[in-house]
Amino acid sequence: MDLVEEAVPLHEAARSRYLNYAVSVITSRALPDVRDGLKPVQRRILFTMNQQGIRSQAKHRKCAKVVGDVMGNYHPHGDGAIYEALVRMAQPFVMRESLVDGSGNFGSLDGDGAAAMRYTECRSAAASDRMLREIGLGTVDFRPNYDGTREEPVVLPADRPNLLINGSVGIAVGMATNIPPHNPVEVCDALLRILDNQRKDQDTQIGTLCRIIKGPDFPTGGHILSSAEELERIYREGSGSIRVRCTWSEGEVSRGSRSIVIDSIPYAQNKAVLVERIADVVASRKLPPLLDIRDVSAEDVRIELDLKRDADVQKVLAYLYKHTPLQQSFHVNLTCLVPVGEGGAASPERCSLKQLLKYFLGFRMQVVTRRLESELEALKARLHILDGLAYAYDILDELIALIRESDGKSDARSKMLERWPDRFDEVQANAILELRLYQLAKLEILDIQEERDEKRARVAEIGELLAEESGRWAIVRGEVAELKAAYTADDRFKRRTLIEAGDDPEFSAEDFIVAEDNVVLVTRDGWIKRQKEVRDITKTKLREGDALLAVEPGSTRATVVLFSSFGVAYTIRITDVPATTGYGEPVQKRFALKDGERIVAATSLDERWVEDYTTEGPDGPPIHAFAAASNGFALRFSLAPYAEPSTKSGRRFARVAKGHEVVGVSLVNGTETILAASAKARAMICLAASVNFLSGPGKGVTLIKLAPDDRLLGFKASEGDRDLLTVETNRGATKTISTAKYEITGRGGRGRELQRNGSLAKIVWPELEAPPPFE
Amino acid sequence: MARKYTAKDISVLEGLDPVRKRPGMYIGGVGAAGLHHLVWEILDNSIDEAMNGHASEIVVTLHKDGRSITVGDNGRGIPIDRHPRAKKPAVEVILTTLHAGGKFDEGAYKTAGGLHGVGSSVVNALSTRMECVVRRDGHKHGITFSRGKTKTRLKKLGPARGSGTEITFEPDPSIFPKTTFDPAVIRDRCETASYLHGGLRIVWTNEVEGNKESFQHEGGIEDFLQRIVAERKSRAVNEEPFVVRKEHEGVRIECVMQWTEATDEKLLSFVNGIPTASGGTHENGFRSGMGKALRNYIETHKLQPKGVTLSTEDLREGLASILSIFVADPQFQGQTKDRLNNPDAQTRVDGAIRPEFEKWLNANRTSAEAIVARAILAARAREASRMASAQVVRKSATRGKATLPGKLSDCIQPGTAHSELFIVEGDSAGGSAKQGRDRNFQAILPLRGKVLNTEGLAPGKVLQNRELHDLVVALGCGIGKSFDITKLRYQRVILLSDADSDGHHITTLLLTFFFRHLRELVTSGRVFIAQPPLYRVDIGKQTFWAAGEAERRQLIEKADGRTKPEITRFKGLGEMMPKTLWETTLDPARRRLLRVELSDPMAADRTFGDLMGKDASSRYSFIMEHGANADLDV
Repeated sequence: MDLVEEAVPLHEAARSRYLNYAVSVITSRALPDVRDGLKPVQRRILFTMNQQGIRSQAKHRKCAKVVGDVMGNYHPHGDGAIYEALVRMAQPFVMRESLVDGSGNFGSLDGDGAAAMRYTECRSAAASDRMLREIGLGTVDFRPNYDGTREEPVVLPADRPNLLINGSVGIAVGMATNIPPHNPVEVCDALLRILDNQRKDQDTQIGTLCRIIKGPDFPTGGHILSSAEELERIYREGSGSIRVRCTWSEGEVSRGSRSIVIDSIPYAQNKAVLVERIADVVASRKLPPLLDIRDVSAEDVRIELDLKRDADVQKVLAYLYKHTPLQQSFHVNLTCLVPVGEGGAASPERCSLKQLLKYFLGFRMQVVTRRLESELEALKARLHILDGLAYAYDILDELIALIRESDGKSDARSKMLERWPDRFDEVQANAILELRLYQLAKLEILDIQEERDEKRARVAEIGELLAEESGRWAIVRGEVAELKAAYTADDRFKRRTLIEAGDDPEFSAEDFIVAEDNVVLVTRDGWIKRQKEVRDITKTKLREGDALLAVEPGSTRATVVLFSSFGVAYTIRITDVPATTGYGEPVQKRFALKDGERIVAATSLDERWVEDYTTEGPDGPPIHAFAAASNGFALRFSLAPYAEPSTKSGRRFARVAKGHEVVGVSLVNGTETILAASAKARAMICLAASVNFLSGPGKGVTLIKLAPDDRLLGFKASEGDRDLLTVETNRGATKTISTAKYEITGRGGRGRELQRNGSLAKIVWPELEAPPPFE
Repeated sequence: MARKYTAKDISVLEGLDPVRKRPGMYIGGVGAAGLHHLVWEILDNSIDEAMNGHASEIVVTLHKDGRSITVGDNGRGIPIDRHPRAKKPAVEVILTTLHAGGKFDEGAYKTAGGLHGVGSSVVNALSTRMECVVRRDGHKHGITFSRGKTKTRLKKLGPARGSGTEITFEPDPSIFPKTTFDPAVIRDRCETASYLHGGLRIVWTNEVEGNKESFQHEGGIEDFLQRIVAERKSRAVNEEPFVVRKEHEGVRIECVMQWTEATDEKLLSFVNGIPTASGGTHENGFRSGMGKALRNYIETHKLQPKGVTLSTEDLREGLASILSIFVADPQFQGQTKDRLNNPDAQTRVDGAIRPEFEKWLNANRTSAEAIVARAILAARAREASRMASAQVVRKSATRGKATLPGKLSDCIQPGTAHSELFIVEGDSAGGSAKQGRDRNFQAILPLRGKVLNTEGLAPGKVLQNRELHDLVVALGCGIGKSFDITKLRYQRVILLSDADSDGHHITTLLLTFFFRHLRELVTSGRVFIAQPPLYRVDIGKQTFWAAGEAERRQLIEKADGRTKPEITRFKGLGEMMPKTLWETTLDPARRRLLRVELSDPMAADRTFGDLMGKDASSRYSFIMEHGANADLDV
């Protein structure tokens, strides 16, 4: 039914279309041109404004009008995108040197958008006027617009290195760009240095350039922390990350507090969001010395932080640098479109700083050359006419007579060409015929001769310049020097961003914890909480059916270790345990316990509670841990590796055979006797020291050899005859195990039979008591 | 438990005649339900014996006549010693006196399903024949009744091993219009009972049909749930079901829950082994306890979804559960016993399930997270269906009513041999296409802006995208597991986008979607790319469209001598008048279509992986390698 129906392989259909899209985005949407530093939409906006005469000296015009003209004439895309591009070029906190002069609400550092384009007005900035000054002098190529009705410049004859001065941000396909703004004076200096070296036939080293261009210079100021070496590497390779943070000064100190005043923030950060993030820190009390934040900015940036009088300012800032956008990374990526061959075709390339500068200078050379060429052409045309005029004076009377006798202008012309065929051509004849009568006066010929001499001199001069490159380079240099002088004279172009290598000040989380003695309560079902004090431990709030597993005292700065049935230790700083008189929260909220994994023991590592747990071996300091598993294996291990807060997944302390679990973990010093009982009513009474001390997580050694269907119920590290283990039989009776009753044996045996028949149901743990307060 | 069950435990309250006068008051009616109720009364007595740990096996036999039944157990046997007040053997008192039994004082029995003590005496009163054989103390004792009156007194029948009770009865045809039992109903009840009382063995003999079955489930309600889930053929969300068995303030609660991918909720509840089809306070307690625990968990772990609120129904969607409770003093609404009325059951069940379930959720994060995800999915689906029903429900000729996306301009005959769906870029082009098409067989679906990149996305994520969801609905063939090409509503799916770079991008995004998620459409040759013209040639007042370079040259030659032709590269579909769009792109007689074929699946796989995948470097090298060959627009 279809007239034509060709088949196309899927992958080819996708490839060709995707390629078209990718290359279009790269070459005519997202990346700036190295020569004028503009993306197509920006170039079209500036060109349109220039064409419509909306220059820096003219009146402001409605942005909607400009956007409409840009869209209709050159840029057949969405109006929103065009307006957004226009607004950015006007924002002083985005551009180092604004290209558009906006009037009305053009947005703010707080992320407020500009007013709708029907309200705002704009005109081009002086810089853009200069960038377009040479547009009519044949300096750059033009190409047809999208519908072939007009022509647009391929690139603007920019007189300034706009790409480096204003930077650029863009995400294309498969590549992106992020060029920071730079200081115009420094960039001009670098250009001059290259030109000077070039004259001396010397190459310019990147190191030299980096001593001139010290680093980016953001319109928003800020403080770059990267070292000179880091920056040089980034400028050499065209990519890398620089750290930027705010600048600040000490504010007033009053009775109870002191203040810090932040006067600039990192580039491209939304100030309102930043303030909100710091306010969150204040509200969540994560940083006790920070009392309040106020944003009192107007035109300038001024954010005041209230601190406690005794606060360590460096540490407070260190915290904020780490947790808020007060310090940010800026990922430099010097990718742009560079000209390839003739005809202005461009392809993407990641450049070094030197390449960017040299491309610009090469472009200036081209502009100057073409400017001279076009001037030369104009001069020659004029000289041609002047030659004709000069001869006309020589034969004036005859000429007048001839004209008087002719019938009209064209007749006069043909008669002239007939009479003096070697002297005049049509252009000259026309020029003569259009002379006014007064110009026949005597003095006029002198003027003509004078002009002819001048023009001839200029032609000779240009001829020389075009013949010899060095003269043109001198012009390029002169113009850059002029530009630099203008920048130097303007206060706006003083360096704003401080570059001073620095490191992140050291601080640890503990610095901001209010030291306070607490009691941590852990339940058998795995709920955890802390309380300032526990008066009556039996009255603490527990979930139905739950019971306390451990009550551990410690400073908020200390940690508490939770041991799980799967052999994993989870460590949490006590300050991070929820402080509540309610139920607390399940440990699973904080740690990623596996299905069926339970907490079987917990201990505080406050050094007043566990005086020294930094054991590295059996002969080390006294306190370490003893663990036993349901399959009768046991081990001793150091607590030192578990002392610092762990991740969600914890740290393994024991390897447990499949189908078995850790039944208990207890602090020991090696002098205790272990009293252990199994479900089949067998008991092991042996010295804790007889169980091996492992240097890493392992399965341990046999504590008691159990029958295949038997399981270890639990154990107790007894400190003497009166320190008993109580068990309950399956008939509900209780039995005690103690060193007073049974004799101590070696580990690894089958254990002592506690009763002939029946089995043990569980271990009966004594009621927990509230720990005594620390002294 | 430790106390002995003797005559002292039997209390006498009233005579039996009222039963025969108003049987409905006792058994809820004389229909089939009432008739079977007689069996349940006797069976429940045996189960009570088992529940309290005295019996392990129950034998239920339907005799050959289909009207008489024997229920026996290996329990303690009904006491046969003389009752101190009634001066009769206790067994006789129990079977002939209303409100006589061991279940009133919470002494001999802890919990019981036979209630009000009416049980066996009522059955007796309504039976033409009842025989009771008790094995106790090494002897067999027998007693027979007729219509509630003792026929032969208790006598020793000989020596016996062990203990137990066996009751045979035959309902009275003068009371019941129909006295034949339904074996299937009894069998079901026996099976259910065997599940609710894990380990209890129930032997069911049907002498009418001559078969015998034995039910025993060590796993109890867990086995039961497993069977239900398997029968529903829906995949379980949490592999391991949540189980709780708890004795709490005199109430024994057993409950098992498992979430499935089914969309309905299934809750079987029992009180003292009796199904409570109409629910009641225990079910309310179950629902509130389960809901609160799950909500607590969600809140504690901050798993609340964004944009939707979880309703109670969302939490329960797909939940299959069994709740069985045993209470000392069940109060049912009516004697049919299918709605529990005890007010305290609610708080007890709630109080037992909530902490246990919450603890289980915390201890089984994998399951818990799957359950929460299931609930969130339910909430989103509910929200989506609410939104869908708010949309216009359109009529479609072949499929009756289907909710098609509102943006779809369907054709009159979808599904026919020539039907086509044009997927058009943007509303502006969609407008022209709608007006220019042949409404008989061409449907138009405009898509807004760039479509989601579906490379590496799961079908679920794909469907969350509004545009693609609409597209899938419009296609009608489903996606992923539910894909069915026979349901495809159009013979051809034609991608129609602008001939500019963004149009090309949209085409590749859609091709990615078809290749990765609806590959059969590509392999069966249903996917096409439309070829709108590339050039517009204005000659004087006339406008022509050229599909390619050659055609353009022809046009220019033709124009020679007249006004200079103006040639522009075609920008977007919105540029064309609907009529022109028809002439150049839509009309099957004149248009040019590219059929997309999957000639090299490996190459296609690599291409989409490279171009649309996560790794930007392969994209970069592809562009750098082939960039020079691209033809560009500005």
